[in-house]
Amino acid sequence: MNPPLIVSSDLSTRSTLAGYSDIAAATGLRKLSSTVEEVPHENLGTITRATAMAVIANPWLGTGPDHDLSERTEAIAPLLAKLISDRLLEALGGVESVEAFGKAALVGSDGELEHAGALIHTPYFGNLLREALGGTSIICFADGRGVPGETLRVPMWHKNAAATRTHYQTMDLFLPDAPHAGEIAVIAAASSGPRPHARIGDRTTDRPVTSEILKGIQL
Amino acid sequence: MNYRKLVTIVEEIATEGGRPVDPVAKVAVVAAVFDNPWAGQGFVEDLNEGIDAVASELGALLAPRVIEALGAPLEAYGKAAIVGLEGEIEHGSALIHTLKFGNHFRDAANATTLLPAVEKRGPAGVQFDIPLKHFTDATIRSHHQSVEVKVSDAPHPGEILIALAAATRGRPQQRLAPLSTEQ
Repeated sequence: MNPPLIVSSDLSTRSTLAGYSDIAAATGLRKLSSTVEEVPHENLGTITRATAMAVIANPWLGTGPDHDLSERTEAIAPLLAKLISDRLLEALGGVESVEAFGKAALVGSDGELEHAGALIHTPYFGNLLREALGGTSIICFADGRGVPGETLRVPMWHKNAAATRTHYQTMDLFLPDAPHAGEIAVIAAASSGPRPHARIGDRTTDRPVTSEILKGIQL
Repeated sequence: MNYRKLVTIVEEIATEGGRPVDPVAKVAVVAAVFDNPWAGQGFVEDLNEGIDAVASELGALLAPRVIEALGAPLEAYGKAAIVGLEGEIEHGSALIHTLKFGNHFRDAANATTLLPAVEKRGPAGVQFDIPLKHFTDATIRSHHQSVEVKVSDAPHPGEILIALAAATRGRPQQRLAPLSTEQ
């Protein structure tokens, strides 16, 4: 039997990359997974994109739509943000490498869509993720009810300027064996760069476009 | 080694069967996606030229990366070759079933056994399971396991995906009698 790990209780300064059995117990964590994709680029070096996912037991199983979700949200969501952002930062090599971000949650078939939303759409997750990844913009997202083995396309946009068209992108995440009916999968994604060959302008370079344009299109 | 993309997947299991797994059971996979060296050549009788050009370099690329991704001592391992729809399964097998490829992983992991493998052909995004076995004794039953993988947008018809997998331990709640008890 190994002696218990001596760890700081101050999670703001503690890495959760190893020795996090206390956090796993507190969140009902079954598994964590991360996927990192590295694409060589002739001008940008390598574009690195990553997703990190925590699969937890749904803390609201068996409750109804009148149940207050705030207590468990405040207890669990910050811990998930910490586990997930630690892995994204490890994958991209630090906060300065993060240019785009996004998030997602899939609730298993015995849960409510609102359970997924509770864990990603409140400051207890979003603010911590934004702070850890060094961003200022609102975080784009996907949510829904899911079954094990599905593939989720996680959206991302620029972490400081959401309307920056070059950074609109998605990353596919495969969820083997998750989420079970009584679970929730909570996910975030980060990218070190734009789409590989972004060249569709920006709102600063677009001419004014309305439905008037349909009058001038020659077929 | 030229590749279109490199994908690293790490799974950490903290609970299985409703009981904690501590320390967590980690499994890492690293996959490289690259042009099939025999693409567009019809049936190539002698594959040695392509094997010599790719297999060793590929092993040298993937082995240190999967060990780093695991981040803890390795106890089980495996490999995969997924060939795009325009290639032969033999092309993928050619690149992984040679000591020129596997020895990079065995040497880096201080392993001695042959690597269990999956070989198949499929469209981009095809799902595959990589089998893993114990790194010094393939009869150790506790370490028989597999990891589910799917790499989006790969392999294209003219590409091959080659992956290595590593695990820190056997199955999270392994409790089967060893092979020797039945012999």
